[in-house]
Amino acid sequence: MISKSWGELQKMHRACRIVVDTLEVLARAAEPGVTTKELDRIARDQIAKAGARPAFLGYRGYPATLCISVNEEVVHGIPGDRRLQDGDVVGLDLGCVVDGFYGDAARTVGVGRVSDEARRLMSVTEEALHAGISMCRPGNRVGDIGHAVQRRAEAEGFSVVREFVGHGIGTSLHEDPQVPNYGPPGRRERLVPGMCLAIEPMVNAGRSDVRVLDDGWTAVTTDGSLSAHFELSVAIMPEGPWVLSEPCPYAAREAHA
Amino acid sequence: MPEGARVGGRVVQQLPNALYRVELASPGRPQVTAHVGGESGLLRLRPGDTVEVELSPYDPGRGRIVGRRNGV
Repeated sequence: MISKSWGELQKMHRACRIVVDTLEVLARAAEPGVTTKELDRIARDQIAKAGARPAFLGYRGYPATLCISVNEEVVHGIPGDRRLQDGDVVGLDLGCVVDGFYGDAARTVGVGRVSDEARRLMSVTEEALHAGISMCRPGNRVGDIGHAVQRRAEAEGFSVVREFVGHGIGTSLHEDPQVPNYGPPGRRERLVPGMCLAIEPMVNAGRSDVRVLDDGWTAVTTDGSLSAHFELSVAIMPEGPWVLSEPCPYAAREAHA
Repeated sequence: MPEGARVGGRVVQQLPNALYRVELASPGRPQVTAHVGGESGLLRLRPGDTVEVELSPYDPGRGRIVGRRNGV
């Protein structure tokens, strides 16, 4: 982990902005009948138009720009010929690189009309993400983030995935420290100003266990239950969290970080 | 894009074919059979060494040693 300067944080802000804007376009395009490959194509075009480069394409051999994980798929779903259907729960995970700095974010959307349980799973997962983000201030520890995420998800009877974790982010997609979505508070690395973390709860409606399909990427819930995934990249600022896809919320910014 | 979780562990036994039996600090999966990841730069480990293991989502009993760690 390397603390980022103000100038570096601005590059990360640009990368994160492009990712979140593209996710908004994808969320609107995720309608019944569209294939996951078509969404990948939109993501690739949008990122190119913004002057950025896809972060996932080629990462450890990953074959696409977008990860798209439908229903019981948790993360790392590979775009293909599958057509989205009314009622699908679709995780969209995207990253890009601008001037050597990475942005990474994800959201889960419902296609057409989704069940009440699916809707509740999605909103609780997003709330769990923000519970984690609220712990992002200097002096707290990485374990405080995971603890807040886990409490929020389990309070609603859902479970958090253990096998995959959030991560530091900067000049690489994955930097130290790892950011699990569970565990006791007050443990792991101390948060310091300039640190950037991708916080990403993966929440299952059923049990927490996952397995990876034969394609080597797609993770699915072992019990077949629905799964949701939300992610934002966050900088630790002296005053608290800066969600990097948003404008910096703190004044006199040049002086610190 | 999430990363595969790494956990701390202690080598308890050296097995044939550069495999090790590793006792994990994490609950639920007390021991795994682990191979040494190519990028870890580790040559030979001995029982008692503390290591960092990336767990395999394919097989709950297996993992990959990705580095040394000071304490589990």
